[in-house]
Formats: sequence, structure tokens, C-alpha cells
Amino acid sequence: MARKQTRSSFDRTQGLGSAREGVGHWWMQRVTALALIPLTLWFAASLIARAKDDYGAFILWLRNPFTSVSMVLLLIALFYHMALGLQVVVEDYVHTDRIKMPTVVVIHLGCFALAAAGIIATLRIAFGR
Amino acid sequence: MARDDRPLSPDLQIYRPQLTSVLSITHRLTGIALSIGSPLLVCWLIAAAAGPATYATLHGFLASWLGLLLLLGWTFSFFFHLCNGIRHLFWDAGYGFDLQTIYASGWAVVAISIGLTLSAWVISVGMKG
Amino acid sequence: MIIKSSDQLPGVTLLKRFPVPRNFGVSPSSRIERGKIWPAPAGATRTRKFEIYRYDPESGKNPRIDTYEIDLDTCGPMVLDALIKIKDEIDSTLTFRRSCREGVCGSCSMNIDGTNWLACTRFIADTAEPATIYPLNHLRVVKDLVPDLTHLYAQYALIEPWLKTDQTAPERERLQSPEEAEALNGEDGKGPAACILCFCCTSGCPSHWWNGNRFLGPAVLLQAWRWLADSRDDATGERLDNLEDPFRLYRCHTILNCTRTCPKGLNPGKAIASIKKMIAERRS
Repeated sequence: MARKQTRSSFDRTQGLGSAREGVGHWWMQRVTALALIPLTLWFAASLIARAKDDYGAFILWLRNPFTSVSMVLLLIALFYHMALGLQVVVEDYVHTDRIKMPTVVVIHLGCFALAAAGIIATLRIAFGR
Repeated sequence: MARDDRPLSPDLQIYRPQLTSVLSITHRLTGIALSIGSPLLVCWLIAAAAGPATYATLHGFLASWLGLLLLLGWTFSFFFHLCNGIRHLFWDAGYGFDLQTIYASGWAVVAISIGLTLSAWVISVGMKG
Repeated sequence: MIIKSSDQLPGVTLLKRFPVPRNFGVSPSSRIERGKIWPAPAGATRTRKFEIYRYDPESGKNPRIDTYEIDLDTCGPMVLDALIKIKDEIDSTLTFRRSCREGVCGSCSMNIDGTNWLACTRFIADTAEPATIYPLNHLRVVKDLVPDLTHLYAQYALIEPWLKTDQTAPERERLQSPEEAEALNGEDGKGPAACILCFCCTSGCPSHWWNGNRFLGPAVLLQAWRWLADSRDDATGERLDNLEDPFRLYRCHTILNCTRTCPKGLNPGKAIASIKKMIAERRS
């Protein structure tokens, strides 16, 4: 049985009104993207150059302060960009609120946790055993 | 007759794939692929921090045929998402919206990302261990 | 390979449609079935088949595809000529919107061979064999090729497309410099004010397909930009407040199907980017 449409088209278009925000998310996505260009290129180039390194050489490279700092910056920018991006994907395709809202929360918390884990691992290597 | 009873005209089922929409969905798919791969990056750092034995196990998986296939997929995803991301940043700044530039930059992104993927792998394989 | 303007046809066709089943993800009442075939009259030498989406709301049946074979030697050059010929001579139940027959009213917008265009400015010679004609995408179908545009018009009303100013009206026109007028008319006559509201762009936008109830879409956002860029309008801040919403504006991911398909050669994608820039600039 189709529900009766008692609200006008215009009223349904209005919805709950404009949220009057959205530029923050848009801006940070672009800022993290800009940061990720040099950071990921550095990371990819390093991986390619060290494709055949053994464990010792790899740890030595990670202990280098420039490497540690860059790695931490990479993890922050990467997981922030990823959280924002995945949030947009979920909002695009999931329309039932009781699934969408928790999923977005899990995405943000998960990315934060991954970033924290990665940073702590990097620092543990950097400051030696 | 209630409005929602009427059929919905087809969209994805009949719309012609064009460079615009295909590159856009590929950008999204590569982003999602990279998001799935990012926990592996954190695992890799944790394995390195945990010691040579743990690291060797992870390295063993990455050197297997499945691991190499995944790495190839992630390499292409990375380069495509990076190149198309830069194209997006130019759009966000307001440049490159005429159709000729949209198409030329689109094809350039495809060519450059394939080229960079192949180069990265050829150079990695050629690296001295 | 490189498209220079929206009226350029694709040179290479790798895929005519995405490789999904014909009725992929479609509700039971929207499933398209095979329909009738109307062969060409005897003695016709140059013919073209048209596969046209049909839906009769009074029959209670599902939509179907009818195939009409047209004698091109007794038909005008445009797709609209073929539709009118079918309605006049073959099947008078075929229903479609049309008016000016010269590409300025926006009535006959429909999906031809997979992309949205005006039937009156698409040459039959530029269509495939068979030519496929569907109504504008992801809209409720009233009948045959006539989609329900009520929601789209409601979204247009939402952006308040009229001049908002407290300045007293001058004796004659509100003056604009040539540069200010160019922001609306475009240096080549293809500025935002030239939009004919055919909704080819909005119905070709995948983001509007998935979020059309809340995302305003390229046509409406192009008009929103038209009023933001109008030097005579004083409500810029208020208009930006109304637009700055994760769904109303920011569902646009610069897919750019809109700019590719505009039958008037306008650039909604660029206008939407300008709106986002204006919003970013006002808080910095």
C-alpha cells in the first residue's frame, strides 16, 4: 500500500533545512590531499629503492629521524583523508540512518585507532628497543 | 494513483559509460582499495617493531603470488588515485573545466598511472638486494 | 578520443552501457519487458530502427521497449522528426514532450543512445542502428518518454531564483558593466543565464541518481551560481548559507557527466566548483 504523499514536493525538498556547514569536511579533504602528495611519493620512492633490503637495513632506515617524522606525518594525513573519503562513500550509498550513522562513527574511530597504532609502532622503532 | 507506484526510468542500466563517469568511479574504487590496504601498512610497521621473526612472516606473505598480486593492485590504485587526485585539486582551484582539458587530462592520468605502475615494478625487480 | 565540445559524438565506443544486467537493481514495477515490433513499410530502402521506452499508466502493465522501423526518405533529419512521424503515421499513442523544435525550449530532452540530449537537435544520422530512446534517467515516468519533473522544479524553487535586493528600483534598468554581464551570459553566450532547464545534466548525474531527494543537482546549482554571480543581487551570503549543506551542494564529486552532456554547451561543473570556492573563501 503506497503511503499517501501529504507533504508538498517543495516541503520534502526543503527537508530539515540547510545544515549551513560542509565546507570544513571539503577543505580538510583537500588539505590532507595536498599533504599526501609529497608524503606518499616519498614513501613509494623509498619502498622501491629499498625493495630488496633486509630487516636490519629496513630498521636502520626507520630509525633515521627524517624517516620517522615523515612516517608519522604520512600516517596522520593518510588516515584523516581516508576517514573523510570513506564517510562520503557511505553517505552516498547508505540511506537508512540506523545503519549509516554507526558506520560513519566506526570509520572515524577505526581510522584514528589505525593511525595511533601505526604512530606508536613507528616511535617504538625510532626510539630503539 | 500514488506517485510512487509509477516506474522509475532506467539510469545505470542504460547510460553510456564516458571518460568522465568511468574515471570518477575508478577514482572512488581505487580509494576504497587503498583504504582496504592501509591496515596492512600499519601491520607492517607493527611487525617491524615486533622483531625480525614477525617481520619475516609478513614479508613471506607479501612475497607470495597472492601478496605480489595485491601489491600490484595497490600500486596501480595508488598511482591512479594520486594522478587523478591532482586533477581533482586543479578542478577545486577552478582550472581545467573546458571539455577539451577534461578529456586530455583524463587520458593523461590513465597513461601516466599505468606508466608509473610499470616503472615502479620494473625498477623494484631490478633493485640489487 | 578528445572531446572538444558537448555536441561532439564519441569517436570510440568501448561499452554502450555499463556491463550490468538489463533490469539491474530495478523494482518489480519498473522492470522493462520486450514490446511490439513495427516493421518498415514495403518499398522503403533507407531505414533506421528506433527502440523506444513505452509505458502506459492505464494498462497496469510494466514498461516495455517497442521497436519502430522508419523510412528515412520520408522523414525529417532529427530524432524529434522521427518521433513525430511515428506518432502521426504508425502509433498515435507514443507520448513525448516537444515545443520549439529548434533547441531553445528544453521540452524534448531525453536519453538517446545512452546520453541525454534534445531530440530536436540530434541528427538521426548521428544515432546508432538501432537508436535507443529512453526518458530522462532516474525519474518517475508519467507516460512513455514523459518523466515527472515536479521534484526538480521544487529543487529549483528552493534556491529562490529571483533578484533579491533592498535597493530602490531605478527609473530604467539596473545597470551592469560588460564584465558583470559576461559573468551571466558567458563570453561565448554559454553562461549560466543561457540554461533552458532541460534537466539533461541533472538526470545524467550519478550523484543525483543515488541522492536526488537531497542533492540539488547540476541544473539547479548552475542557476544558484547564476544568482550568486549576478552583480545586481544582494543576498549572496544568504544564498550561500542555504547551499552550504553536505547533501544540497557537497554531493557533487566533480563527476562531470553534466558538462559532457549539456545540449547547449554550458558548464554546470565549473559553476558548482565556483560555488564551493566562494564558500571556502568566505571563511578565510
